[in-house]
Amino acid sequence: MTPNFVQRLDRLARQLSPFAICMLLVLLSVAPLRVPVLSSAAPLLPLMAIFHFGLFRPALLPPWLVLAFGLLLDLLAGGPAGVNAVVLLMVRHFVEANQRFLVDKPFPVIWLGYALASAGAVAGIWALTSFLFWLPIDPRPAILQYLISLALYPLAAWVFGRSQTSMRTA
Amino acid sequence: MADRIKVGQLTASLRGLAQRFAFGMLVLTAFAVMVIGKADTIIIERVRAAVVDVATPVLNVIARPVQTVNDALAEVHDMIELRGELARLREENARLMSWQSVAQRLEAENKALRSFFAFRSGPQATFITARVVGDAGSAFVRSMLLNAGGRDGVENGQAVMTSDGLAGRITEVGEASARVLLITDINSRIPILVERTRDRAVLAGDNSRQPRLTLMPPGMSVEAGDRIVTSGHGGTYPAGLPVGVVASVSEKSVRVEPLVDWTRLEFVRVVDFGIEGILPSAPPPPTRRPPLP
Repeated sequence: MTPNFVQRLDRLARQLSPFAICMLLVLLSVAPLRVPVLSSAAPLLPLMAIFHFGLFRPALLPPWLVLAFGLLLDLLAGGPAGVNAVVLLMVRHFVEANQRFLVDKPFPVIWLGYALASAGAVAGIWALTSFLFWLPIDPRPAILQYLISLALYPLAAWVFGRSQTSMRTA
Repeated sequence: MADRIKVGQLTASLRGLAQRFAFGMLVLTAFAVMVIGKADTIIIERVRAAVVDVATPVLNVIARPVQTVNDALAEVHDMIELRGELARLREENARLMSWQSVAQRLEAENKALRSFFAFRSGPQATFITARVVGDAGSAFVRSMLLNAGGRDGVENGQAVMTSDGLAGRITEVGEASARVLLITDINSRIPILVERTRDRAVLAGDNSRQPRLTLMPPGMSVEAGDRIVTSGHGGTYPAGLPVGVVASVSEKSVRVEPLVDWTRLEFVRVVDFGIEGILPSAPPPPTRRPPLP
């Protein structure tokens, strides 16, 4: 057990963690959690992760991986295929375009950036799904979902941040 | 040498071009999937079933600790509502006891009448019990994933029930997984009967907790508390499956509260009533020849 080996292991873990976390969150978002309010408005966990890692570790979350996660989420969740894929790619693009502005700002500014990106994302999912079903879908659960996710983002961001530092400090 | 530099420049510029358009290509791919999904649902359904098949064992593992969390939450909820629940159950028990005696009398009467008319009962229903391993909690779709599929005998269109009533129907079948479209989903339409009046209508989901009645015949009388059962029309469900109770009647809409308790849905029964194939291939009704002049 040379320090070198530990360091390499640590780096590998940090490099894999965005992928692993996004994958886990995609799977968790279809887990049958039965909290009364959340059953129709579960927090948008993959969206939070893609915003966060797109901002702080863009190289570890390339757009093709975002497309793959979006498609997986679409296929598992049962909505029209491609909707989450398009929307998550757009979020990734939004983050990349604003990365220089956002990355070293205090947390409230990043939170505001998330609020804007996720508002666009939820509106996009709503519009595309309504269009593809050709039915007017009640937007209220989507708005609730947006607000719950917005409230949970600081906690999620803290956990994502820990995943990048915990091993180094341990 | 000059050639080599030219080739190098060319590959560099090509790479730059590729990177610039890579993102556009990915977005186009996602849109293409959307268009394919709309135009040819069969391909997407197959891919979906295959992906869900692969994910089901993982979801199965995740579902268990999640169920423990659910149980703990339910327990806390129960503790809070214990007194009220006890009173309600006592009252319900008293009511059910009186119904039990009615049911026993009717059963005996039914038996006697059946033997009297040499009645042939319909095909026996078969059940497949499955665990709910996925429930997206999405604001747009109401569906669940089950850990039983084609190899267990699950087929498209079969009814999915709990001990309370109808939960939905199978819309997608993989080898070891299946998707249930819930009766509350915006794409769900179920032909129903109001049990009291025998009026027919369609129960249409809209992603809310209480689906609404549509296509009601003019002059239909329906009151809050009326029981709603499947009518059997259209051939998807057999007649008489309990679905829900009318929750509210207003000028604009009639809302139905499903009997299924969505917060306690861990296992469901996929029911094969053996009615597939009867309706589509039913012979035309015999025509009566007009009397000869």
